[in-house]
Amino acid sequence: MLARVSRNVARRANVTRSLCGARRTFVQPSGADRASVVDVPSTYQEDNHFAPRPDMLGFKLEAPQRNGSTAEQVRPIYLDMQATTPVDPRVLDAMLPYLTDQYGNPHSRTHAYGWEAEKAVEDARKNVADIIGADSKDIVFTSGATETNNMAIKGVARFHKEKKKHIITTQTEHKCVLDSCRKLSEEGLDITYLPVQKNGIIDLAELEAAIRPDTSLISIMAVNNETGVIQPLKEIGAIARKHRGVYFHTDAAQAVGKIPLDVNEMNIDLMSISGHKLYGPKGIGAAYVRRRPRVRLEPILSGGGQERGLRSGTLATALVVGIGEASRIAKLEMARDHARVKDLSDRLISKINEQVEHVVRNGDLKGYPGCVNLSFAYVEGESLLMALKDIALSSGSACTSASLEPSYVLRALGAAEDMAHSSLRFGIGRFTTEAEIDFVVDKIVATVNRLREMSPLWEMVQEGIDLSTINWSQH
Amino acid sequence: MAPPPTSQAIKSLYHNMLRSSQSFSSYNFREYFIRRTKDSFREMQAESDPTRLSTLYAAAQRESGVIRRSAIVNQLYRGPKLAVELQDKEVEAREMEGHALETGLERGNN
Repeated sequence: MLARVSRNVARRANVTRSLCGARRTFVQPSGADRASVVDVPSTYQEDNHFAPRPDMLGFKLEAPQRNGSTAEQVRPIYLDMQATTPVDPRVLDAMLPYLTDQYGNPHSRTHAYGWEAEKAVEDARKNVADIIGADSKDIVFTSGATETNNMAIKGVARFHKEKKKHIITTQTEHKCVLDSCRKLSEEGLDITYLPVQKNGIIDLAELEAAIRPDTSLISIMAVNNETGVIQPLKEIGAIARKHRGVYFHTDAAQAVGKIPLDVNEMNIDLMSISGHKLYGPKGIGAAYVRRRPRVRLEPILSGGGQERGLRSGTLATALVVGIGEASRIAKLEMARDHARVKDLSDRLISKINEQVEHVVRNGDLKGYPGCVNLSFAYVEGESLLMALKDIALSSGSACTSASLEPSYVLRALGAAEDMAHSSLRFGIGRFTTEAEIDFVVDKIVATVNRLREMSPLWEMVQEGIDLSTINWSQH
Repeated sequence: MAPPPTSQAIKSLYHNMLRSSQSFSSYNFREYFIRRTKDSFREMQAESDPTRLSTLYAAAQRESGVIRRSAIVNQLYRGPKLAVELQDKEVEAREMEGHALETGLERGNN
C-alpha cells in the first residue's frame, strides 16, 4: 500500500517535471555538460539565498507577507525621534471620533455636523496656541512644518519684495528653509547664510552685522534636527525687534513640546510647528503668524479664504484634533518628559563613553538632550547603521538619509569630513525605556569594536601613526 | 465642589488603570503608561490638600477611560515584538534554566 502510494507520487512528480521542461521559459537552464560543482562562497547566507525555479519564468516572486506570522518577526528598537515620533495612544483616542462618527466639515455653518467639527477645531487651536504662549487667533493650520516654512519665508519675502530684498538664515537650517531661500534667490532676492560657531550656535554679533536696511526676514531654527543645538531665540528676537520691519521666523518643529517656548517673550513673529514631532499625526502642522503688530504675507494657496485667507482649503478635522491633543499633552508632560529624556540621554552618553574611546559629541552640550549626535572615529556611519539591524537609527536627517553625502549641518559646525561621515543620531523620546538604551549601547559597542578591528586605519592609530600626516594620494 | 475621594476609590481606580496599562501590546506604550500611572498615583498619595486631590482624581478618572480604549485599539493592530522584549525573554529563560539546574543539583546532593 505504502509502496504504491510512493510510486504514484514519484510518477506524478516525474510528469510535472517533464511538463516544466517542455514549457518555454525566460531563463534557459544550462545543460548537464556545462554543470560543475563549485564550493559555496564564504559569503553564502542561508536566509538571503535565492534559487530560481523553472516555474518562476525568470521573474523573482516574493512570498506574500502574512499578518498572522508575527511570532518570528522582530521589530527594531526605534531611536529616531527627530524623524518622526509615534502617535501617542491618547492622541489617537481623541482623533477617532472625528474619523468615524463626527465627519462634518468644520467650515459648514448651517448644521450641527459642521458646528461640532468647528468646536473641535477651535479647541485644538486653543491648545496649540497655549503651548507657545500665543493667542488662538494667531494659529493657522497647515499640512506640516515644510508647508509652514515655505509659507512664512516665501510669503513674507514676496509681500515685501518691492522694497525689501534681503533675507537672513543660517547654514544649518532644515532643507525646506534652505530650498525656499534658494528659490527666492532665483527670483532676485539676496540671501545671507550665516555661519555657525563650532558648537552650532550662531554668533549674535554676526547676525546684527548682517542686518541691512532692506532686510525683511530672519529665519533661524529653534532646535536643530541633527544636532539638537538650541539657538538663543530670545536674543535673536530682541535683535529683530530693534530693527523696524525685520520679521523673525523660527522653525520650531523640533522644539515645540520639548522645550518651553513663548512667542511674546522671545519676540517671534512667525513660527512653524509640526504635528508628528510631538507625538501627533503626520500631515498636519501649524503656523503662528503674529497679528499685533501684524505680519503681512502673501499666501501660497488661493481659494475659499479659510484660516484668515493664509491657507485656503478644508481643514482635516481629525488631524487638527490630533495636533491639538498632542499639544495639550505635551504641555502637561513637558517637565516630566524632559527630565526623563535627560536621564536616558545621560545614561546613553556615559555608557558609550565608558566602553568606547574616540567618540565625539557633535553640537552644543547644552542642546536638547533628546537628540544626541555622536561621531565614532574610524568607523563609517552607514556601515555601522547597516550592521545594527535591530536598531532603527539614522546618521542624520531623514530627508537626506538616502544619499551617502556627509551631513551639511555637521560640515557647517566645522567637523572634518571623516567625522561627518561617521556620525550617528540618537533620538530619545517619551516612550523610550532604560532597557532599550542598554540594549542599544551593548549593540553599538560590540559593532564599533568589530568594525574597528577590521579597519586598517584603526590599526594605524593603535600603532601611534597620526593619520593626518599621511599623504594618501601616493600609491 | 465634589467631596474628596475615599482612599478605597483611589485604590480601585489605580488598579483599573494599571490593568489597562498592562494590556497594551506595544512594548513602549505599555512601559510608559505603567510608569505614568504609578507616578501619578504616588503624587496623589502624597497630596494632602483635598481640593487638589479631587482635581487630580477627576483627571485620573477621565484618563482611565482613555487608556482603556487606547489599549483595546492597540491590541487590535498589534505588531511583532521589539528586539529588546525578545532579549528579555531569552534572559529570563536562561535564568529559569539555571534555577532548574540549581534545584536539581540540590536534590542530587540530598
